[in-house]
Amino acid sequence: MTRRLPPRGLRARLVVAFVIVTVAGAGAAAWASARSAGSALVDATQERLTAALADQVAAVAPQLTYPPGREALERLRAAAGPGTLVTYRGRRAPGGAGADLVTEPVRAAVRAGDGIVAQRIRARGRPWLVIGTPVAITAPDGRRRPSGIEVYAVRDLSGVDDRIDGLTRSAAATAALALPLAVLLALAAAGSVLRPVRDLRDTATRLAAGDLTARSPPQGADELAQLTVTVNEMAASLEASMAAMRRMQADARRFAADVSHELRTPLSTLTAVVEVLAASADGLEPDARESAQLAITETQRLVALVEDLMEVSRFDAGTATLRVEDVDVAATVRAALRARGWLERVELDAAGEIRAQADPRRLDVIVANLAGNALRHGRPPVRVAVSATDERVRVEVTDDGPGLSADVAPHVFDRFYKADAARARTPGSGLGLAIALENARLHGGDLTAGPADGGGARFVLRLPRRREDA
Amino acid sequence: MRRLAAAVALTLLLGGCGVQTSGVTPAGRAPTGVAPGVTLYFVDRDGRLRPQLRRTGRLGTIPEAMALLLTGVGDAPLRSEIAPAGPTRVVATTAPGLIRLMVPLTIDDVTPRGIDQLVCTALGVHVQRGGSTSTRVQIRFVQPTPQSRVRRTCPLIP
Repeated sequence: MTRRLPPRGLRARLVVAFVIVTVAGAGAAAWASARSAGSALVDATQERLTAALADQVAAVAPQLTYPPGREALERLRAAAGPGTLVTYRGRRAPGGAGADLVTEPVRAAVRAGDGIVAQRIRARGRPWLVIGTPVAITAPDGRRRPSGIEVYAVRDLSGVDDRIDGLTRSAAATAALALPLAVLLALAAAGSVLRPVRDLRDTATRLAAGDLTARSPPQGADELAQLTVTVNEMAASLEASMAAMRRMQADARRFAADVSHELRTPLSTLTAVVEVLAASADGLEPDARESAQLAITETQRLVALVEDLMEVSRFDAGTATLRVEDVDVAATVRAALRARGWLERVELDAAGEIRAQADPRRLDVIVANLAGNALRHGRPPVRVAVSATDERVRVEVTDDGPGLSADVAPHVFDRFYKADAARARTPGSGLGLAIALENARLHGGDLTAGPADGGGARFVLRLPRRREDA
Repeated sequence: MRRLAAAVALTLLLGGCGVQTSGVTPAGRAPTGVAPGVTLYFVDRDGRLRPQLRRTGRLGTIPEAMALLLTGVGDAPLRSEIAPAGPTRVVATTAPGLIRLMVPLTIDDVTPRGIDQLVCTALGVHVQRGGSTSTRVQIRFVQPTPQSRVRRTCPLIP
């Protein structure tokens, strides 16, 4: 047995439900009225037929000789019409064709009682009414006793059957008339329900697409209108919170930009002072020299941090600009590593010349951050591989370290994210990977982190070879 | 399964509307009217009304019974208190609850017992034919008399 799916749409379901309810109701009403009319028709017909038989018998009975002879029985049978059987103490009147349908229960009831009995039967594919009656002898004072004469009649009821069938058909037709009306009503009701629902859906779609000013006008005062009002309130509240959040973000970014900007001037001074200190460090006591070295290192870190912060602020403010040139990516990567003295510690796989449209300064920043991160947090060997397709340049940095655990991987590009809380003091600013990602995006490329084949971490930079807008 | 249910519902719907068969049900009183003869009423020696079965083989009609009554008692120890007159033809009409007899007699031809004879014979035939025992009988004599308007009952038929 195949199970059909119920109709999916609200409109189809409403129509089906309406039609079922209406047709079932109309059908039940029509069926009940046809049935009661039919049974009234049967009762009336039965009453008429039994009364007619009683009248026919009563009309002829006073003229019959008693005890009845063959001729008297024949006369009674003729008077009662065709399909009649007349008996007297077991003797049958001759003739009486069609009376063989008289049932035994009717005979028994006639013999036992003193009244007319009737039974409806179905034989030879049509309904019949079997009537049986004894003929009574009444004394002048009104007392009755059986005479021994019994009259049985079989009457055809197919005429009644046909009329009942007609009634049923007209009832079914009436029920069917309700069908188109039900469909129309259902469509109207579905329309009135579906229009606000569709409006709401459109509004929700616009909200989801980011248009927080989208609203639906509520119509009427039903539950759907209440829902519309609620959705509008939700959208308004969402819009307000989003606006507040944006304002707070903007404030925070401006604050970071301002702070890093304000720090730059005193830091320049501090750097100059520290450089002087470094130049004269050789003449100091060992303890003082160590302190001087510490101050120099921390000052350099502070300078790097402020520079990174300013870089991030430029990205946030959208003022970071890309100076695209036609560069050899392999050479740029090699230069970046060489400039930081990492060529001995890193396995570089960059054969030949790979030309691409990129900003060399930013590419240098990305490579330095990825390689520096691998050298700091991973274990050697650290490998940098540069490859290219027609469309893209791919720079892959892998290490043999512990790799990125599942809870760390989604956050490696977050600002100031520390994979290990205990290892709070690391030489990096905590912004390197975030800046690398922003630079990759600025190029229209992408930077992803994942596990390497050997168990370490793998960072993959993909850059388009040609600028689309160039 | 669903088709079967639909078929059952359709059968119920259509089959439930035709002529249904039934058991044996009572349908009224049995017809009556057969009798071995007609009962006439005469008067015995003590002046009391007496029924006499005249074996005609069948019940017949009220005028037939009246004709037999007016013809006379025959050889029984009973007598009739209706003066024997020439014609014996009686016209009987029945209305609901009332039998009207037009007799070829005057009020002087009958005693009160004779009137009872006429009333009882007519009412007896009426009852034997299936009529009600509470039917009244009105006798119209040939000459105008207040007695013609009286609605009578038979003392022997309750």
